[in-house]
Amino acid sequence: MRRRFGWLVPYLFLVPGGLWLLAFFLVPMLIMVSVSLQQGTLSAGYQMTWNFGIFPEAIGQAWPQMVRSVIYALIVTALTLAIGYPMAYTIAFRGGRYKNLLLLLVILPFFTSFLIRTLSWKLILADNGVVLGTLKSWHLLDPGFQLIGEAVAVISGLTYNFLPFMVLPLYVAIEKVDPRLVEAATDLYASRREAFRRVTLPLSMPGVFAGSLLTFIPAVGDFINAQILGSRDTTMIGNIIQRLFLQTNDYPRAAALSFVLIAAILVMVLAYARVVGSEELTSG
Amino acid sequence: MTDPRSDQTELERAIARALAQGRISRRRFLRQAGKGGLITASALSLPAILAACGIKPSSSAGGGSTAAGATPVVLPSTPAGTLNWANWPLYIDIDEATGDYPTIKKFESESGIKVTYNEDINDNEEFFGKIQPDLSAGNPTQYDLIVLTDWMIERMIRLGYLEPLDKTRIPSFDANAQDLYRDPWYDPGNVYSMAWQSGITGIGWNTKLVAQLRPAKPEITSFDDLLDPAFKGQVGMFSEMRDTMSLALLSLGVKPADATNDDAQRAQQKLLEAANRKQFQGFYGNDYYDLLNGENLALTIAWSGDVSQMKLYDNHDVEFTIPKEGGMLWVDNMAIPKKAAHPLDAHLMMDFWYKLENAVTLTEYIGYFSPVKGVAEQVKADADKARTDGDAETANALDVVSQTAFPSEAELANAHTYKQLTEADERVWNELFNQVVQG
Amino acid sequence: MSPVMATTDPRPPPDVHVRPLRERAARLILPVFTALTVIYLFLPIAVMIAFSFNDPRGRQNITWQGFTLSNYLDIWNRPDVTDPMVTSLIVAVISTIIATTIGTLIAMALTRYQFKGRGALNMLIFLPMATPEIILGASLLSLWVTVGVQRDIVTITIAHVMFNISYVVVTLRARLAGFNRTLEEAAMDLGADEWTTFRKVTFPLIFPGILAGALLAFALSIDDYVITSFVSGSTRTFPLWVFGVSRIGVPPEVNVLGTLIFLTAFVFIAVQIWAQRRQQRATPGAAA
Repeated sequence: MRRRFGWLVPYLFLVPGGLWLLAFFLVPMLIMVSVSLQQGTLSAGYQMTWNFGIFPEAIGQAWPQMVRSVIYALIVTALTLAIGYPMAYTIAFRGGRYKNLLLLLVILPFFTSFLIRTLSWKLILADNGVVLGTLKSWHLLDPGFQLIGEAVAVISGLTYNFLPFMVLPLYVAIEKVDPRLVEAATDLYASRREAFRRVTLPLSMPGVFAGSLLTFIPAVGDFINAQILGSRDTTMIGNIIQRLFLQTNDYPRAAALSFVLIAAILVMVLAYARVVGSEELTSG
Repeated sequence: MTDPRSDQTELERAIARALAQGRISRRRFLRQAGKGGLITASALSLPAILAACGIKPSSSAGGGSTAAGATPVVLPSTPAGTLNWANWPLYIDIDEATGDYPTIKKFESESGIKVTYNEDINDNEEFFGKIQPDLSAGNPTQYDLIVLTDWMIERMIRLGYLEPLDKTRIPSFDANAQDLYRDPWYDPGNVYSMAWQSGITGIGWNTKLVAQLRPAKPEITSFDDLLDPAFKGQVGMFSEMRDTMSLALLSLGVKPADATNDDAQRAQQKLLEAANRKQFQGFYGNDYYDLLNGENLALTIAWSGDVSQMKLYDNHDVEFTIPKEGGMLWVDNMAIPKKAAHPLDAHLMMDFWYKLENAVTLTEYIGYFSPVKGVAEQVKADADKARTDGDAETANALDVVSQTAFPSEAELANAHTYKQLTEADERVWNELFNQVVQG
Repeated sequence: MSPVMATTDPRPPPDVHVRPLRERAARLILPVFTALTVIYLFLPIAVMIAFSFNDPRGRQNITWQGFTLSNYLDIWNRPDVTDPMVTSLIVAVISTIIATTIGTLIAMALTRYQFKGRGALNMLIFLPMATPEIILGASLLSLWVTVGVQRDIVTITIAHVMFNISYVVVTLRARLAGFNRTLEEAAMDLGADEWTTFRKVTFPLIFPGILAGALLAFALSIDDYVITSFVSGSTRTFPLWVFGVSRIGVPPEVNVLGTLIFLTAFVFIAVQIWAQRRQQRATPGAAA
């Protein structure tokens, strides 16, 4: 009996999640697609006019912010990888008994609201705050030196806030690498560096991939960091969409921009998957 | 002219003493004190002010208001016994120790209606975005009573999102409202709304920093000061389109209420030119307060009351100025969203706030411009009574209130109202302004 | 020449325990780097905790003015401050449980079985993560309004489960990929049925991965501002409240609650680690 219905098992596993995502993700998204093609006003109501022209129009206006968001997100992903990989590696390979404790230490700061953390960064990086103010009073910095409002502050905030999204998947993957494989490599006369490069690194790639995705994508669409730490010159596409949605109430345009953004993300991710190995997307 | 600084210290000490007694919660009082006014010694003569004010219904204009003839909402015979009220933060008296709202409690015991008070409104458009989906679908929101700024009220009326009021249940309005707040341009005949509190938008600035950055002319007098390259990177603007654009229009010599789209374009160009050379540190909502207070901004568009209480209590080096070209007068209003579940309870609450004693208590705590007649006189009377009772601290505190919470003639003469924008125009203005804010 | 042992060998005898100084220093790089990074991670937390003890004269909680415990003592009398936190915790716990369960099932199905529609499923899992939160929020709001459902804690929880499923699956999949099935096969060869195998072999082995996914889901739920702001109605969660009051000036109560949440998370995780340690000690040889 078990054998006959064995084929059903994976589908049964998938039913709860599939239904949930269908009802609370797909359907709402379809509603949004239709909104982007509508035209109208709040008072007269919106009608579906199949206004595909909204897309080139919206892109034409917002492409600088889009490009900026992608660039910021790429930088952030690279930074979190640069910071997160050594950290995940150290914890996994050198943590020993303290592995879980160290992991706890790494994740712990992120259990407080990211709003509070970002606001704290605003305090730390304030023009005349503890750090800059002191440096300025020692005449190491120009009195007009500003961090808040510059791209540096926004990118720092994004890097800080998305670090765990990179570290956790990296750790999970690196930790899974059997140390005996590394040992075998060094037994075969590989240097430590070579052993890392040829054994550990490739085996940890699923983690690199997962971490990069989990970092890049939310970073592209973020607007809170830009809002709290940024200025007019660091406006990201998320800020544009938020303003269109909540302040100017231009729903069709906001929805259109969102879809352009998702499409751009998908294209980039698919390209990335090609490079890393397409089986990642369909790995089993 | 007395030295403002010594007055200040005197006042500050008096207030500190009064508040130490717990008579008025210090944080709350000073937080709100005079959001609607300046510390100017002025005798208050409301009838004289009326003549000078600019709050008149715009003659014809694009007023597509179909208010005339709107039938009042049908009210049940007895109140439901609950009320869900959304308001802005720091807009009501609060007992800091317990977190209760004393005047609301008074209403609850008088009327038997339980009030859920939410400080859910931080920004007109943001709140609108929250309730709009329900209203456009014809569903009730969870609120029975909301408080929004005049131009937003106008938009909601235009969209049919508000219930027409049954004035017979709000007799105190007809009896007690100041003429200034009757029949406003955004709601002719007060069909849908009644004024809650009012104030002025102008420029708040730090005297020390301004003198440092521009020693040749260390005073701020005009909107153009905000664009002076001497202050590059130290200037704040508002993220609300209407405030910023209106002040810019005034600096071009255009009255906002009469501005055309071409005028808006010119105003935008002026702002854009400055924004592109990184003149502004940012575009703010309430958050400008922290920055001005913390000396991270030298000058910014600001609300008068915030600055006067900042000066009293937090950072003494700040001043508030209405630009010589003019400032903006705004009125926040109570209204009932369509299909509210407990409309009668909302009506009773509105009536409650137009009773003199409640309006006085409110003003004595939060100190905005009150729309109720006789509040100024009553506050002064309370101050006198406290003085004769030997309660000098309270008397002094109430003196401060009576100075900050009631606009002078001069202020009102220089304060303008927003333009009543059609939907199409609003879209145009928003697109223009978005370019300034977001680049 | 006879094979005679060298009598004097100038080089020191090979001794693996004595490493040259340079190499020892090099080995310190990673731990030092990690330590510095941990300090970096805790910097804003330290600021948050420090300022929760601040006694601000005015609205400003920016400069240090004086130490006080009163913020902590007063907080319990302020339902306007504590209610949002309670709401957030309830939502986080419930949504984490549901999302982790659903996500684990999906991850297991993806990594262990072959079935049709795998590509489509991967897409479905992946898309919520590729969508800006603001769109997720706005689209959910449109859904509720169309269907006529009032927004409250239930809709918030539903939204949180929705976006958490994807993160749990992705985190878990990185771990499950390459999972060694031979252990399971061995167990079954030894007579265990599928359920027992799962209970005693599979689950303990994948548990750390599940835990990582659950932790991520919990953190995301507690933290969520954007999506929650669309679907919350008049219910307030902690981030919504923080954002609201921060417009005026971040009061110390924000820091107090942040610190308390932080401590709660600390205890929660510490207990988990301890429980895991116990389990590890009870089953020596099992992979961590």
